[in-house]
Amino acid sequence: MDLKFPADLKYAPTHEWVRMDGDMAIVGISDYAQHKLGDIVYVELPVIGAVLEKGNAACEIESVKAVSVLFMPLTGEIVETNGNIADNPAFLNYSPYEEGWIMKIRVSNPDEIKNLLSVEKYQEMIQKEED
Amino acid sequence: MEFITKEDLNGTKTPLYETHVKLGARMVNFAGWLMPVQYESILKEHETVRTLAGVFDISHMGEFIFEGPDVIPFLQYLMVNDLKLLEKSKGQYSCMCYENGTVVDDLVYYEESPERFRMIVNASNVEKDFQWINKQIGNFQVKVRDVSKERCRLAFQGPKSDDLITPFVDTDLSALNRFYFVFCNLCDVPAFIARTGYTGERGFEISFENKYAVTIWNAFLKTGAGVAGLGARDSLRLEACYCLYGHELTNSITPIEAGLNWLVKPKEGIDFIGKEVLIRQKKEGTSRILVGLNLLDRGIIRENYKLFKNGVEIGYVTSGGFSPTLKKTIGLALVETKYSSIGTEFDVEIRNKLLKAIVVPTPFYRNI
Repeated sequence: MDLKFPADLKYAPTHEWVRMDGDMAIVGISDYAQHKLGDIVYVELPVIGAVLEKGNAACEIESVKAVSVLFMPLTGEIVETNGNIADNPAFLNYSPYEEGWIMKIRVSNPDEIKNLLSVEKYQEMIQKEED
Repeated sequence: MEFITKEDLNGTKTPLYETHVKLGARMVNFAGWLMPVQYESILKEHETVRTLAGVFDISHMGEFIFEGPDVIPFLQYLMVNDLKLLEKSKGQYSCMCYENGTVVDDLVYYEESPERFRMIVNASNVEKDFQWINKQIGNFQVKVRDVSKERCRLAFQGPKSDDLITPFVDTDLSALNRFYFVFCNLCDVPAFIARTGYTGERGFEISFENKYAVTIWNAFLKTGAGVAGLGARDSLRLEACYCLYGHELTNSITPIEAGLNWLVKPKEGIDFIGKEVLIRQKKEGTSRILVGLNLLDRGIIRENYKLFKNGVEIGYVTSGGFSPTLKKTIGLALVETKYSSIGTEFDVEIRNKLLKAIVVPTPFYRNI
């Protein structure tokens, strides 16, 4: 598998990635997640203004064969969502870290960030799952 | 994200199992067989079949040979379709029903001669069908053999399928009309080739001995055609509005309810299993009927989602998904007949929400 995992991102064990920008967390799903899901055909974008805890269901992502849940990697308020993926859900497959970003969270508890996985720890975790 | 847990990979391998794995296929257990659900991408495979051509391994399906002087009267008794409309070298689609008119299986049989037929049945029903057929033989002078495991079956479908197959066959297939078949040499190997298919495109369904499986599969790949798995097979047949047993046809749904009124023939003077119920349903109609749906709101509909009108449950989705060709959500649903007219709107329950759906004409797409 030739999957990519940018080193400057943090990862949740539930396969979401996080890019910090001040107190904003930009969130999407990892290359591994999109590969496991297959062709993504529909994204129910999260509700702007919703304040959700880490681990809560933020939105649904549908692939051809299944419905999956995206979990909040951090606690906070959803302040922006990526309207482009409504018409182009395939961005999640082809550009999971750039054009396929899903939402921006105003993080309410920055301490949670250090509990996210580094790229090395995330790749280790995936390796274990595949074995 | 959560992912579907590990597949139950204890299943029977088709002759092409290793080939699929080498091509990077994601394998699933389908009806006890290990089959490729996708190679690279269901959407890409779907598009390749609609624009070029794709080859499918359908070796998991069943293949029976009927022989004897009473084959035709026996099939007339088993089937809702009328074999008087059939001729040598032609195939016919039909349902085989129970006494109450519900469906044992939908299938295609081919008349090689009045005393020899070949029948292809659904993978999920091979044993059931074989037992059912043998149970009905009674005094008919017929022998039925199950040759499923001796033969490899492939589908080669797409607008360019005729062009791409031509160099490999020693017969002029352009003269072969839809539903007709020939025996010829494919890659110098004896093969049964029928102009039938389950995708809504022009194409062929092919059967030959197992030992040639890899040779012939590789020959198709060399043409530049794509490979296509069960995921694309399902999205293609849904666009074309072909029934899938277990969804639109089951042992609780009759062919009339599934919109196959045309398939059930009057067959006057000929008895067939389920005739009384089915002819009455043809005459009087049914309380529920299969319709095609689009969503008016954004979302995806999937099988078993319930339908509501003014808060009252009126039916359910039998199959649904995203149509790669039409770029919208499509579905088939069994709904109370009074809500089945084109343009009728009702609600689909998708998890906690009600989304608006509308009845639309079918098929969604055909290019035969």
